[in-house]
Amino acid sequence: MNIDFHYYATYCAALLAGYTPEESLDICYSAQLVDLCSRTFLGKLKAPLSAATTQLQLELMECRTDMTGLQDITRIWASFHFLPADLYAVKEHCSKRYLNKYRLICGPNGDLLADTVNLAKNKGLQAAGIAMHILADTWAHRYFAGTPSLVINNTDYHFFELITEDGVVQERPVSFRHNPSAADDPKKGIYINSVSQNSENSIMNLGHGRAGHLPDYSFIRYKYLPAWGDFDEILKDNPSDFRHAFCQMIYALKYLRGEYELFEKDRYDEEAVSSFSDELHRILNKRQTDACEDWKALALHLDGHEPEPFDLTRYEEEYLSAEPEKKGSTFLGRFFQAAMAQKSMVTNKIFHSGNLLAGFSVDFDRKGFRGIEDFKQLIQYIKD
Amino acid sequence: MNKFQRIREVIIAFLIILFSIILIANPDDGHVTIAAVLSTTMILAGLRQLFYYFTMARHMVGGMRILFRALITLDFGLLTFTVVDIPRFYVLLYLLVVHAFSGFIGILRGLEAKRFGSPSWRLIVLYGATVIILTIFCLIYVKSANMLVYYYCASLISSALVRLRTAFRKSAIVYIQ
Repeated sequence: MNIDFHYYATYCAALLAGYTPEESLDICYSAQLVDLCSRTFLGKLKAPLSAATTQLQLELMECRTDMTGLQDITRIWASFHFLPADLYAVKEHCSKRYLNKYRLICGPNGDLLADTVNLAKNKGLQAAGIAMHILADTWAHRYFAGTPSLVINNTDYHFFELITEDGVVQERPVSFRHNPSAADDPKKGIYINSVSQNSENSIMNLGHGRAGHLPDYSFIRYKYLPAWGDFDEILKDNPSDFRHAFCQMIYALKYLRGEYELFEKDRYDEEAVSSFSDELHRILNKRQTDACEDWKALALHLDGHEPEPFDLTRYEEEYLSAEPEKKGSTFLGRFFQAAMAQKSMVTNKIFHSGNLLAGFSVDFDRKGFRGIEDFKQLIQYIKD
Repeated sequence: MNKFQRIREVIIAFLIILFSIILIANPDDGHVTIAAVLSTTMILAGLRQLFYYFTMARHMVGGMRILFRALITLDFGLLTFTVVDIPRFYVLLYLLVVHAFSGFIGILRGLEAKRFGSPSWRLIVLYGATVIILTIFCLIYVKSANMLVYYYCASLISSALVRLRTAFRKSAIVYIQ
């Protein structure tokens, strides 16, 4: 998903969940920041590098794909963009090494989603925004894993877009190009994807790189053969998935506001969107790579005014000028702590499932502090 | 990394350093040694790919090509092992051009990192520039195989040092409930 959904749609969802416009803006700002909080960004602010929630293309090209490098990549991408659906998934007649990767395939309504939303409970608007980003991505990024893997994430020439013309559904082969500076052209069916690499751990095989940005567009329906799928074709219906994501965000945000006692998986607040269901359908099905204007218009309809545009530098000065001991109380400080808590939780769950792809996790309660120094500030954050 | 993996990394790093020192001490037949190392690497890579196919890629759509690639790599490794008299000048030239190109890419990446505001851009540019300068230096002395052997050894030692640094780096994440 892109800024249109993570920022503007999340803003709408927060409003519908009952947050004020100011609170909604903080939530959607945090949701969008997940796609921009790289080590480069953190380095500029002299913030803890362990709070990285994404990696820039440049950082990915430079990072080593040795064991610790892969673990670092997996922690970031599995925790924030490709939350695993089932860490105990079963697949017969395969090696443990294969199974470990297979179990990291992202999907909605997994146990980790409930853990993620519960972790954000009573932890502020930044944590809520992070959780909404992750929740939304479980729908968009389903069927791909947040770790470099040829055997899981690869795609091949069998890739078709389903286009409805005059009420008739037609299949159009998708043409992929590899030029990262070029733009997708939905009219001609030309999309950009990562280069095919036969190396299992090549960075080109991370997430949905091999399917380009198709999973991020709300309008598109396509079918393809996922590398892990035993030659079974998968139909990805993004308009339906994005609608589910939107309605689930509203429900989850209502839970975070205290409207419900428990967070239940597979529950969607359809009622909240019933008054503008047709408009929502129109936005999600419109063939465009950037739906910001339509979501802005919906926000205007819901709230009476548009949310201000996303500005990455909005809270930088507050963080930079804060005294060292007070940085944790700033907007960005709270965001970084929530991000580290999420990363710590997901890594722990993956580790305890017997899977070392995200590296080692040390239980503080049992073994004390034996890990990366950055995480020390979590002790206070969890207590608060 | 667990303790076993850390110990393994340290041992491999020391073996690489030891190999480099031996190579520096006896540089005359260095290019033959490098060719032997390359062919051994290819054979091992072929075997590794075969293992990869049987444990992972056989489950993958289109995984059969991994099997073919493994067999071809293995075959080339064995072939290289039998060919010792490669025209040295061309091999050296090829290796140096590839290296210079990687230095050029390093500089471009560094400049892009600067555009993103990354504080590490100077280091990346410095690395790229050093690679290019060293390559030019080697090109001047391209007739001396020893120079390339020294250069090769320096690269090996730097990679061993990176392994050592990785082995001692704290990498566990703490989970606080």
